[in-house]
Amino acid sequence: MNKTVIEIDHLSVRYNGKLVLKDLNLKIQKGEIVAIVGPNGSGKTTLIRSILGLVSYEGQIRINQQPIKASLAKIGYVPQTFSFDRSIPMTVAEFLRLSFKNVPLKKLRHGLMEVEMRQYEDHPIGSLSGGQFQRILIARSLLNDPAILVLDEATSEIDTVGTKSFYDIISHLNKVHQTTVILVSHEIHMVYKFADHIICLNRELICYGKPKEAITKEVLEQLYGQDIRFQEHQH
Amino acid sequence: MFELFHYPFMQRAIIAGVLLAGLFSYLGVFVVLRRMAFFSDGIAHASLAGVAAGVLLSINPLITALMASVVFAVIMFFLEKKTTVSSDTAVGLIFTFGMSLGVLLISLKRGYQPELIGFLFGNILMIKSLDLLLIAIASVLISGLLFLFRREITLLSLDREMAYLSGVNTDFFQLLMNILLAVSVVLGIKILGIVLVSALLIIPVSISKLISQSFGKLVITSFLFAEAIMLVGIFLSYLFDLPTGAIIVLTGSVVFFAVFLLRKA
Repeated sequence: MNKTVIEIDHLSVRYNGKLVLKDLNLKIQKGEIVAIVGPNGSGKTTLIRSILGLVSYEGQIRINQQPIKASLAKIGYVPQTFSFDRSIPMTVAEFLRLSFKNVPLKKLRHGLMEVEMRQYEDHPIGSLSGGQFQRILIARSLLNDPAILVLDEATSEIDTVGTKSFYDIISHLNKVHQTTVILVSHEIHMVYKFADHIICLNRELICYGKPKEAITKEVLEQLYGQDIRFQEHQH
Repeated sequence: MFELFHYPFMQRAIIAGVLLAGLFSYLGVFVVLRRMAFFSDGIAHASLAGVAAGVLLSINPLITALMASVVFAVIMFFLEKKTTVSSDTAVGLIFTFGMSLGVLLISLKRGYQPELIGFLFGNILMIKSLDLLLIAIASVLISGLLFLFRREITLLSLDREMAYLSGVNTDFFQLLMNILLAVSVVLGIKILGIVLVSALLIIPVSISKLISQSFGKLVITSFLFAEAIMLVGIFLSYLFDLPTGAIIVLTGSVVFFAVFLLRKA
């Protein structure tokens, strides 16, 4: 039987009095890949930020039956981008060592190997491409053996080939480490292929379920309007 | 040439300069990372209120300036945290408030105030034994704290959210950073003056950034550049009887442009 790792009860979020997420109820099970989809401004990032305790909210979020703060150390987070200046001289190894206290070199190198970036250990972070840096952020989030990996549009700066490779890595980590993965994505075709469950948001919960069952013509219309078409390839 | 080492005032100046250059080079790395250059400039200017209060009350102005700068640093932290006022606006508010209060207090004391001019533009002759003692204690303490919490402060300086998610108490360390920076800036005023003190925070690390490939090298080369600039600046200032603060900053600026051009060549 699957174990619930994230339980969200009546979650609502307001920004400056405006309701951006309304009465969300969800349960995410251990070892799942869960994708959050929806149009811009639908509350995807707000949901992620609520789970990480980065925004104020109404309702309750419990991770492994504990408050967020108690579980934060076991959550790995890969954002769309961090705001810091990458021109600062800092090697990949130095950047990774900052993440947690006393990171052993062996573990650091293993994390880099997992994302196929072992040879970049001594490269300055400023010399990496967007895709390479996203992999480093994944490696960083793995150093603390996270039970949950949260990715917020982490492929937005990566080309198509890089995106495929990125999802392969996530899928591998999920299979090997049983890591629960929650990801925000605009790439419906990738979500369709890789996710176990899908959360469709448009300020409220529009659908939740297995991608093949949850993504229907009606749901897509509710999310993106009447102009969207969905075509399932049979290969 | 070496007779300058025989004068007690020069000995005090050199010791204070070496200590402050080391502290500023390390602190400057975080200032540049966290984009707090305007904060340090604002604190330096606002501390005029403390300096003026000291002169008016016949207390060592360095002590009153230290007290005022810590109060301003704490106010800036809470303005940023508890209101929608942005960081640079908060600095702007305190900067102008402190300066205005300083000018007002100065106007209450009649006659020429040479000590005030020294605080504005720096004066190496102004470093007394008590000042040197304060600079030495504070430099060791602040450098020690920066080293002890280097992971937390580096993470916070890189990205506040990343620091929070790595388990850093971001509010505590931001407040600590504000206070340490405020105290350091005021200590540097004695040599560089209110107007120029923040230059020593940004010039050495900016030079190092041009030539470093790693954070470790950035910290080390920033330290070496800061010490060299400070010593050459003090020496030139003594040799040609020129204002110390301005000469130190100009020396640093020349080195910056020289390294920049050599790197391009």
